[in-house]
Amino acid sequence: MKNTFKLLVLSLSLIFLMSSLACAAYPERPIKILIPYGAGGTTDIGVRMLASIVEKDLGQPIVVENKPGGSGTIALAAGAKAAADGYTLTAVTSSPMFITPHLRNVSYNPIEDFTAIMNYSGPYHGITVPASSDWKSFEDMVKYGKANPNKGTYGTAGTFGGAHISMLYVEKLTGSTFTHLPFKGSAAATAAILGGHVNFGIVPQYADHVEAGNVRVLAVLDGTRDPDFPNVPTLRDLGYDWEFASVVGLVAPAGTDSSIISKLEKAFIAAANTAEFKEFMKKANLPIRIMNSEEFSGVLKKNYLGYQGAIKELNLTK
Amino acid sequence: MFTDFLTGFALLLDWSVLVANIIGIVIGTIVGAIPGLGPVIAIAVLIPVTFVLPTVPAIMLLLGVYQAGIYGGSISAVLFNIPGVPAAAATVYDGFPMAQRGEGSRALKIALYSSTFGNIFSCLVLLLVAAPLASIALRFGPPELAALLLLALTVIAGVSGGSMLKGLLTGLLGLLFSTVGLDPIWGTFRFTMEIPELENGLALVPVLIGLFAISELLIQVGKPDPALLMKSSQQSQESAKELAAKNHVSLLELWKMKGVMFYSALIGIGFGILPGIGSTTPAFMSYAFAKQKSKHPEKFGTGIAEGVAAPETANNAVTGGALIPLLSLGIPGDAVTAIILGALMLQGITPGPFVFRDNGVEVYAFLIGLILSTVPTLIVGRIFLRYAVKVLTLKRSLIFSTVLIMCVVGSFSVNNSVADIAIMCVFGFIGYALRIYNFPLPPLLIGFVIGKGFEEALRQSLLVSQGSVMIFLQKPIAAVFVVLSAIILLWSMWSAYKTSKSR
Repeated sequence: MKNTFKLLVLSLSLIFLMSSLACAAYPERPIKILIPYGAGGTTDIGVRMLASIVEKDLGQPIVVENKPGGSGTIALAAGAKAAADGYTLTAVTSSPMFITPHLRNVSYNPIEDFTAIMNYSGPYHGITVPASSDWKSFEDMVKYGKANPNKGTYGTAGTFGGAHISMLYVEKLTGSTFTHLPFKGSAAATAAILGGHVNFGIVPQYADHVEAGNVRVLAVLDGTRDPDFPNVPTLRDLGYDWEFASVVGLVAPAGTDSSIISKLEKAFIAAANTAEFKEFMKKANLPIRIMNSEEFSGVLKKNYLGYQGAIKELNLTK
Repeated sequence: MFTDFLTGFALLLDWSVLVANIIGIVIGTIVGAIPGLGPVIAIAVLIPVTFVLPTVPAIMLLLGVYQAGIYGGSISAVLFNIPGVPAAAATVYDGFPMAQRGEGSRALKIALYSSTFGNIFSCLVLLLVAAPLASIALRFGPPELAALLLLALTVIAGVSGGSMLKGLLTGLLGLLFSTVGLDPIWGTFRFTMEIPELENGLALVPVLIGLFAISELLIQVGKPDPALLMKSSQQSQESAKELAAKNHVSLLELWKMKGVMFYSALIGIGFGILPGIGSTTPAFMSYAFAKQKSKHPEKFGTGIAEGVAAPETANNAVTGGALIPLLSLGIPGDAVTAIILGALMLQGITPGPFVFRDNGVEVYAFLIGLILSTVPTLIVGRIFLRYAVKVLTLKRSLIFSTVLIMCVVGSFSVNNSVADIAIMCVFGFIGYALRIYNFPLPPLLIGFVIGKGFEEALRQSLLVSQGSVMIFLQKPIAAVFVVLSAIILLWSMWSAYKTSKSR
């Protein structure tokens, strides 16, 4: 009995020693990051830039692999199934984390199958009108939508995307109604706003068009104001209990050793804080929004549940 | 502006720019010629490479691929009756009959020269009037786009070759296939049969390869004689001198086609500046237009030079056209320009209203570079076609087994999906069945390509108008296209009636 106990203690301590050794040595081989979208997209270029900085720090190459398709769910399904050894990470965004799982059958659970590492970006989504529009404020828009049900039109990047679902919820909260025009991607929706083919649109990356005087932003869907346009209110500022949390971050499969997670967290947050990365993101008109593992994990959970409720309320469930 | 122009020009005077550009052109020509692979995949693969290159060589590498890729697609279209990229599908009509007559290298030369013309012309337009054209592009909302695509469908319907009725039927089949997947407005599933891989619809590349390449292979398998390779037998009969004379393309001949090339380039640019249409539709459109304007329309489809020059000019002219909204608005028009947008952003250049202010020098460098790179494209193209034609003298079993492998790889690589290989096979049998009953395939492809955009634009317009079709007549641009479509339809019905009566 005594010997058995000794053996147990010994083997346990050996396991601990070995695992901590393994972690100390991590990473020993190249790390792969799965991107749910195609090469050259905003998620792709941000991760590539970040990875090129982190590589130097971790001393191992980082391979970026694009796995587009299925509205981002294909890459997340693959990322959830990968070995929890810290060598396969997945870049995640709002739609495949918060929304798509409630609308379609996917083979992963965004909360249970992943451990959050960090968040580094997330484009602000603006309720954007052409410069020629009569609406000067969000209230003008709501007033119009109440007086002329379904007459006003708005464009988004696609049916049941974050922007569309947010707007459905906003209509519910404000009692206004509009007609939704889905486009193929936010670029096409932005073109429709610029051309005045819709009354408004909900799109990211509006900064240059605002500065050029072609469009105005009435409100942002995010929880915080866009630092580039501090005068534009959030929906919460306007008194409506809704936000579209835009995230772009990294996750590892659930069960990954916590020391590996914290090593990655430190390295990627340090990289996101470098002048090089800030300069790059500024030029690309992409915001930097850094969250550590704990904060990001909380945001993921809160929004997953938030959308679950909203989608149920809107009767959109699968 | 002029100093930006000159400084931009100076940026190009570096050997690394030329080397990167030539590498891009070689890669572009090769991937273009391989069915299934195309500039989209090649550019996506090259993105990490551009990451470590300086800005100008990086972008010139990608633009080289973009420019040469579409020409490359015509090589397999002409020689094997298999378009290497969707945009080259219209080149099959006259390119392949020419190759069957032993004039393959002539067809490829015409394709190369007209591609070059389309490139230079559209780049000059881009250089001179990018901003005003971009604002015209913005005027195209859903009703205008729907009406334009209606016009394109009407014009293209007439060129099926052979029976008009059969052409229309396969066109409708193409429209039907375009509805598979998520409904663009309601987000519900259509014809997905609970197969998850069909949820995002049928991808263009496996459909294209199945229809054209796999069906061609199936037909070749059933043939005892190397019918496709008539050329090699002819080669032995004809003297090398005769063959060279037959394949010679004179400047005078090109000059005679100036009209065809000019308005094909205009069609290419016009469609290019509109987001989401791509280069397949304008290639078919300019072929149809050239046929209708021609004094000898009956010769189209038998292997005449205009039939190759028109689509090849147009699909290359799209390049310059598509760069207009990309650079001046930051809005990419198709899959390739979307990736180029990312590459530009990786280099710290953000296309949009301020790109000429913030990065004028680099942008002028790209534009001048695009025009200058037609010279290496011509040289690489000439060298390439000399060897490409020799492929025809290889053993049939070797050629077609290689083509089959390429088809599988190409279909798989679009989305890294095995399901796409299955889709390719299904469309291979559909294409085979249609061909043995003499149904033309191009209308199916064009119906499929136009269908998605047309449905989206049509339904968006009706949402805006709350269901009233009058919106297509109230908007002036849309009304012009609708009236033109009606005139063309009535006129072709009238001429069909007249010919049937005179018989």
